[in-house]
Amino acid sequence: MADYISVTALNALAKQVLAQCEPLSALIVCGEVSNFTRHYKSGHLYFTLKDDNAAVKCVMFRDKARLLSFEPQNGMLVLAYGHATLYERDGTFQLYAEYLRPFGAGAAQMAFDALKKKLQSEGLFDPAHKRPLPPMPQCIGVVTSKTGAALQDVRNVMERRWPLVRLLLAPVSVQGFAAEQSIVAGIRALDADGRPDVILVTRGGGSKEDLWVFNSERIARAAYACKKPVVSAVGHEIDYTILDYVADLRAPTPSAAAEMCVPDQARVQQEIFILHENIQKNMQSRCQVWYNELKRLSAPELTRRQHDRQLHCEERVRSLADTLQQAARQKFTHTGGQMQAAIALAASLNPYAVLARGYAMVTDADGALCTVEDLYAGQPVRIEGSAMTALCTVNTMEQNSRSNIDENAKEL
Amino acid sequence: MKTPKSFEEGLQRLQDLLAQMQSEETPLAKSVKLYAEAADLICYCNETLAQAKLQVEEIDAKLAFASGAEESI
Repeated sequence: MADYISVTALNALAKQVLAQCEPLSALIVCGEVSNFTRHYKSGHLYFTLKDDNAAVKCVMFRDKARLLSFEPQNGMLVLAYGHATLYERDGTFQLYAEYLRPFGAGAAQMAFDALKKKLQSEGLFDPAHKRPLPPMPQCIGVVTSKTGAALQDVRNVMERRWPLVRLLLAPVSVQGFAAEQSIVAGIRALDADGRPDVILVTRGGGSKEDLWVFNSERIARAAYACKKPVVSAVGHEIDYTILDYVADLRAPTPSAAAEMCVPDQARVQQEIFILHENIQKNMQSRCQVWYNELKRLSAPELTRRQHDRQLHCEERVRSLADTLQQAARQKFTHTGGQMQAAIALAASLNPYAVLARGYAMVTDADGALCTVEDLYAGQPVRIEGSAMTALCTVNTMEQNSRSNIDENAKEL
Repeated sequence: MKTPKSFEEGLQRLQDLLAQMQSEETPLAKSVKLYAEAADLICYCNETLAQAKLQVEEIDAKLAFASGAEESI
């Protein structure tokens, strides 16, 4: 009976032989993906890589698969990095992929389109989710290479436009294998820091392959998860990455991004100038208003009061004048009456009137009125009648008889 | 004048002052006070802007990197 070995031993042997073949331990295989499945429970990827003439089974374990920056799809041409050996249980020769990347423009575009479609359907590009940038950020987080031209561009623009801002740099590698993790970490670190008002993810121009990392699903999700708005500026104007779609704002270049993130110093100065002018004008017009108000309130008021007082005074003067006039008139009338009486009395007492009736007035040589009793014999006297005066000398003085006087009195 | 915490706050305050001054209800004495504050703020804003110099600081993303690696997509 011939010697035989078990299937297990056979496969173990084959595996052992294959393990000794150095090239199989580190391969890069180019092929088209087919029969692609992601195991729903384990998360491992199973697929077949094929070209025109051959096919090989591939497996990619979950811990590697989750680092993929794209979703492999059937028909996509990929480069698979890994090693090949025998899977002893099934006796199948298969490739253990550790890393996949789309191969060629077509595949890259496919991967890009597929991821874009997926994220879009999940709402990561939703315009409603886009947040406005703060008009005057105090701190801007920058995720970029410390040595890249992008950072220099950003610094220059900020220095010129808005030097008040503080840049918080998360230095990352933007190229190569570690770039994806590094960029995700940078975004998360800045968002967790709390200081940045906005996060700028940027890198300068490069080949499509150089920029490919910014099509990473993990970067897209990290940007989407940010509490602060994210601005993306990758490559040049024509380069669109998945990050651009997720970001709250996409800038065509790093310099443009810097301009969009901060206000212009000159414009703000102008704004202050206008504010200043407005405040100045406002104060002036307010003063004018107050002054007018004052004038409006006080001038007529004063005039009115003055007028009132004037009227009042006039009234008083007029009334006083009337009273005075009346009093004067009264007094005049009264006095006039008295005078008339006095005149009448005086007239009645006029001695010259008596002379007209035949009486005479005796005066001495000096003109002084004399009573007859005072005369003496030989005295020169003047006897005044109504029309004529007689110059005489007293001859003798004799006593009148009583009866004669009484008779004269009766006649009067 | 209290020095504002930041340029932005100063500018905002300036706008508020103008609005207050424009209000018909603001009395004369208050307006004069507001005007004085505004004049100081304008000085502050202009000087701050003139003297500003871009500051750049670096942060270490490695800690976040470690925690980030734990998550899967």
